[in-house]
Amino acid sequence: MKKLTLIFAALFLTILTVTAQESPYQKAMKKEIAKLIETDSLPVMQQSANAFARIAELNPKEWQPYYYHALSYTFQGLNNSLTADKKDEALAKAEDLAKKADGVSPNNSEIVALQGFITMAKVSVDPSSRGQSLSGQVMQAFGKALALNDKNPRALILLAQMEYGMAKFFGSGTEKACGSAKQSLAIFAGQDEEALKAAIQPTWGKFLAEKMVKSCQ
Amino acid sequence: MKTYLLILTLLTASLASAQTLISGKVADQKGGAVPGVNVYIKGTYDGTSSDAAGNFSFGTGESGKQLLSVQALGFKSQEISVECNGQPVALQISLAESINLLTAVTITAGAMEASDEKKSVVLKPIDIVTTSGAMGDITAALLTLPGTSTVGNDGRLFVRGGDASETAIYIDGLQVGNAFGSTASNVPTRTRFSPNLFKGSFFSTGGYSAEYGQALSSALALNTLDLPLRNQGDVSVMSLGGGYTQTLVGKQNAVTASGNYYNLAPYQAVIKQNFDFEKSPSSWDTEISLRQKWGNAAEGKAGFLKAYFHTEGSNMTIWQKIPGDNGRGDRVQLNNRYAYGNLSFKHAGNKGWFYYGGLAFSHNRDALKLNLDPIRQITQLVHSKVVAVKDFSPQFSLKNGLEWYVKSYSEALVDENLKRNYTDQQVNHFIEATYYFSNRLIMVAGLRSGHSSLAKQTWVTPRFSVAYKMNNQGQFSFAAGKFKQLPEEKIRIYQTDLKNAAATHYILNYFIVKNNRTFRAESFYKIYDNLITYKGLATDPQNLSQNGSGYARGIDFFYRDRTSIKNTDFWVTYSFVDSKRSYANFDTQVQPSFAPKHNGSVVIKHFVSALKSQLGTSWSWNSGYTYHNPNLSGEMQQKTRAYSDLSISWSYLPRPNIIIHAACSNVLGRANVFGYRYASQPDEAGSLASLPVGQGAKRFAFIGLFITLSKDKGANQLNNL
Repeated sequence: MKKLTLIFAALFLTILTVTAQESPYQKAMKKEIAKLIETDSLPVMQQSANAFARIAELNPKEWQPYYYHALSYTFQGLNNSLTADKKDEALAKAEDLAKKADGVSPNNSEIVALQGFITMAKVSVDPSSRGQSLSGQVMQAFGKALALNDKNPRALILLAQMEYGMAKFFGSGTEKACGSAKQSLAIFAGQDEEALKAAIQPTWGKFLAEKMVKSCQ
Repeated sequence: MKTYLLILTLLTASLASAQTLISGKVADQKGGAVPGVNVYIKGTYDGTSSDAAGNFSFGTGESGKQLLSVQALGFKSQEISVECNGQPVALQISLAESINLLTAVTITAGAMEASDEKKSVVLKPIDIVTTSGAMGDITAALLTLPGTSTVGNDGRLFVRGGDASETAIYIDGLQVGNAFGSTASNVPTRTRFSPNLFKGSFFSTGGYSAEYGQALSSALALNTLDLPLRNQGDVSVMSLGGGYTQTLVGKQNAVTASGNYYNLAPYQAVIKQNFDFEKSPSSWDTEISLRQKWGNAAEGKAGFLKAYFHTEGSNMTIWQKIPGDNGRGDRVQLNNRYAYGNLSFKHAGNKGWFYYGGLAFSHNRDALKLNLDPIRQITQLVHSKVVAVKDFSPQFSLKNGLEWYVKSYSEALVDENLKRNYTDQQVNHFIEATYYFSNRLIMVAGLRSGHSSLAKQTWVTPRFSVAYKMNNQGQFSFAAGKFKQLPEEKIRIYQTDLKNAAATHYILNYFIVKNNRTFRAESFYKIYDNLITYKGLATDPQNLSQNGSGYARGIDFFYRDRTSIKNTDFWVTYSFVDSKRSYANFDTQVQPSFAPKHNGSVVIKHFVSALKSQLGTSWSWNSGYTYHNPNLSGEMQQKTRAYSDLSISWSYLPRPNIIIHAACSNVLGRANVFGYRYASQPDEAGSLASLPVGQGAKRFAFIGLFITLSKDKGANQLNNL
């Protein structure tokens, strides 16, 4: 019994120390990521962007601060209350930051998917004139992200969105796009979100998959 | 427990006492609040963002002298030293705007850009292939822009009262010799290069940068694609021929090879032609393009190397009627061989340095047979260039370039063993400074100097432009400059020490893009000096001198709208050109045949999703070409009737990787006349008989099937653009 208590105590202690060892970096990242994923408000997105800029400056060897810094500008670039110029300005900044993330962590499926997402946002600023030249790049980026990690649910759902649009345009079946969406949702569902959050790995995008699977039905 | 509480209280107290409150307000230089500014103590997590009113406030546990960093998109970052000793710090921060190249003013005087990324563009690269009537010819698409004149019996680019030789064409910054296919007189030609090669273009109708020279009127700079996206094969099957292109893409490099063959004989056998071809035009071409990237753009040092080789050959035999003679006329047999090679590099170095340049070589050989006399003409051009650009600050950059040209020409009467030739070497230097006073005001000043070994002449030409952007996003630009150009090789061969002709440009431009609508208005004044004049015929000029002079002035308008009508993109242009010059064998100043006074065009593209099709139409019009009637007194006294051409096209995408394109020019079948030719001897009645110079056929119809083979089923041949 005593032994058991000891073991328990030891376990408890380890857990405590693990929690206690959470660095200011991790704490700050978790807080800001949660804020960014929740919000629809432009000022909050900018606050997040600023916070990630501060974190990145202190942790230049980590890719996540650049990644989320870029993501916070990508969300701004998709916000329809901004003018096309402002969107382009935010997306140019996002592109720049994604490149920095790629420099820290090359061939990272998440970063490549983000780069595709940024280009996708650029297309959405002016679809009629950019669609033709940039959509190929978008598809290619998602393809590359999936080649690096075929279980990347963000790359899958964004690719599914592109495929869906093209299938609609050409009047062909949306089965493939919907299949990708379902696959993405299944991966999201099977993930241990808390563990990913603890490791500061990206978790966003589940909502997109749910929405698309619904519209596929 | 008590101890714990005590420690806690103590801790909080000590923390509280060490906290320094930093607050303040951030404003721009006009006093307006700047929201969303990142304000933080450098090297710590302590910081915040300014609110909608520009106010910020945060506490920091740091002590002593600290650096407060202030950053916002669109503004220059600032660092302010603050003392953290527990006393509140209040700050008023004023941020200066930074130059944002995405939205800052650009010089639009004279310039028309085709690009996907930039704002001040009038065309998108894809427009070149989707403009109906252009038939995939770069030049023909540019002829729907303001400042150009369609000269239907020539096919080249004529800009603002200038002749076709006054436009210089560049690929990746290096000049192209004989960019247009060789042809017989009054048989229109086209650009040798496929529009699929290019990702964008810069077309200037005047007042261009010191980087370009030896062109009196215009510069056209075409930029080739960077890395293609994927491995793919492109098949084209057309009513005129076919071709295949294969692209292989590596991590940092790519190779594209293509071969095409065209023959108009089957088409001309079916459709009645006005031209009397003994052998219909046929041609083949092959291309290979290599691209290599290096470095990592994120880390600063990165570059790109491109190599491009193009060879082609063409043949035709045509009979051309002689005015006043009922026979078949002169037999002109033409065999052309052409090669162009271009090796170019770009490299971004450290500390704001950027380098680019390269080496290009053009070789053109025309073997002509005029009736029985064989003539051989060889034109060669070597252009090498090195440019260094240094950004001293976001506001100020300086460009310095050195160029070396070798231009040679030879012509031979093969049977008589007579030959003449010349070689000219030219050295050019240019320097250009760009200064942004703010995001609204930019000034560019440059100086181009050159020396020709053959002309034994040294020259210096200044260029200047300035642009100002107003509150409503509209902008005014002004450009002025001097331009020099040595005479065409076919004149120069007669007298090799001929000097430069000169032009001076003044251009005032207004440009605005708003909500997918673009409006552009431009007025210009161009003065010509030292133009070539001679007595007698162009084929045998006597008394060559350079006393010709003239002017071109006018105004042109462009309006493009992509939103007002659903699924429709259209543009309308109108150009007025008033030009007169004394040149060639004219004694007085006359309006040249290639400078119609009123020119207009309308281009409409309509997308029909239900049909998966783009329907297009374009109409081009001008008020008629002047011509010289030797039966009357005076010079260039007459004018043809107005020119008009209505073209239609249909692009159909049945599947993502298949495009079917059908087009027809001059659907109304109007018999356009570009001028008249006259007999050299009077008939019995004492007058000189005439023949109109017209179109090769009433209409020209085209149909093509373009298939892309790749793993990505969504890819098609438009993806490259």
